[in-house]
Amino acid sequence: MTSHSTEGPAVRITGLRKSYRGRPAVDGLDLEVLRGETLGVLGANGAGKTTTVELVAGLRRADAGRISVLGLDPVRDRAALRQVLGVQLQESFLHGALTVGELVDLYGSFYPSPRSREELLDLVELQEQAAIRFEHLSGGQQQRVSVALAMIGRPRVLILDELTTGLDPAARRRMWRTLETLRAEGVTILLVSHAMDEVERLCDRVVLLGSGRILASGAPAEVTAAAGAPTLEDAFVALTGDSPQDQEIR
Amino acid sequence: MTAAPFAASPAASRGRPRRPGARALVMMVRAEGRMVARDIAGLVTPFALPLLILLTSAAGASRQEVVAGRTVLDLYVLPLVLVMVLAFVGVLNMPSFLAYYRKSGILRRLAVTPASPVLVLLAQAIVSAVQAALGILVAAAVAALAFGANPPLHLWSALGALVLTAAAMYATGMVVAAVAPSPSAGTAIGLLGFLGLGALGGMFGGRESLPGPLAEIGALLPFGAGVDALAAAWAGQPLPGQALAALAGAMALGTVVAGALFRWE
Repeated sequence: MTSHSTEGPAVRITGLRKSYRGRPAVDGLDLEVLRGETLGVLGANGAGKTTTVELVAGLRRADAGRISVLGLDPVRDRAALRQVLGVQLQESFLHGALTVGELVDLYGSFYPSPRSREELLDLVELQEQAAIRFEHLSGGQQQRVSVALAMIGRPRVLILDELTTGLDPAARRRMWRTLETLRAEGVTILLVSHAMDEVERLCDRVVLLGSGRILASGAPAEVTAAAGAPTLEDAFVALTGDSPQDQEIR
Repeated sequence: MTAAPFAASPAASRGRPRRPGARALVMMVRAEGRMVARDIAGLVTPFALPLLILLTSAAGASRQEVVAGRTVLDLYVLPLVLVMVLAFVGVLNMPSFLAYYRKSGILRRLAVTPASPVLVLLAQAIVSAVQAALGILVAAAVAALAFGANPPLHLWSALGALVLTAAAMYATGMVVAAVAPSPSAGTAIGLLGFLGLGALGGMFGGRESLPGPLAEIGALLPFGAGVDALAAAWAGQPLPGQALAALAGAMALGTVVAGALFRWE
């Protein structure tokens, strides 16, 4: 049985390609994410962000190229990878009739050393909602449960796709605090986001994707400066020809 | 807000990934059980269906003794009713539920955890089987009290045949669940499977009225084999080897095929 590596980058992607009905979604992507780094994955709709993270999570098979997460192949080493990878999907649903506490207990049973219910609900500030059914929570609370379940197995690498989409400002800030706690714990985070303020605050580095390729990469300030733009959002517009807000509206 | 310092899971650090085990299965079964108990509509099928089938089938059944104090109702109607219930729940009801899970994204969410498809399918089958067992108990009680039905002469053989038939039906249903792309497709495929198995197994008249080759095929499929095994137990005869082999084969083949074809999305 394969074990995860303790050396080298947390995620290494080489020559990654994935097409849907002949249309490339990811087109020869090369990328490395360092251990403990928080990487922001940006791009217009259809740029290949979600496909990329789904390939990293092993939810899809690549047409070509290689992916290594802590030295593990997402498809071949699925069982080993699931122990060290946490994923919050852009679109996913949970058993609506179960309470928050029951969901935490259920998902925790999949891992050998899960965070306790108290610790986890404290981390996402949902202690008072433990006895409430998932289907009766607000959208923001449901999102926090989804993130909590991604963290429950004490992952070494965490994928967060559209972490704060649909959350109110207070909920977003609560979520940011949670992520900052995880960063301090040394968790490697891939954060797919359209929120530039979020990316600037949380990410060590960003990659800007367009048509499945990297258009720009570096620290948020570096990307902004390289594009000759006053803000990261302006850099996004200059490099992709679209604004992240328009992306969300569409 | 507090959080414990990060620590890699022991199994991951050792390098040998540990699949979720018995505790995860228990938790999954409890979760499925809670879901069922909180969905009143979901309780109707397993409890009302056996009674309805019994009432429509038993009323016209002859009370004339056939063998060893057992009547047509005991030897033909009751085995057929019990197998119909198992086929309905296993082949039609359970696959629809799993197809809903897939469409709603619940299976996709589970796919990024260490939970395996077998764990999900097994939990679903256990909860569904418990529902069916309770429904059958109610139906059997009504059959005895209202229609004077007699228990099987070989009780343990009957229970064994019932369990084996249930396992074969659920394995068949798991194949449907594994491949059905949507809840409606799951229902359609499950309905075809239920009617097909039933037609070849004597649900719409005795198997002896079918053309020879079809009757022989029907005897080898879970429905016909289940009826044969239960009828033998009620009559106090040894369980037919062909029926037992057919049920065990369906169970093994269905489990392997479902595990191989299962899709999270």
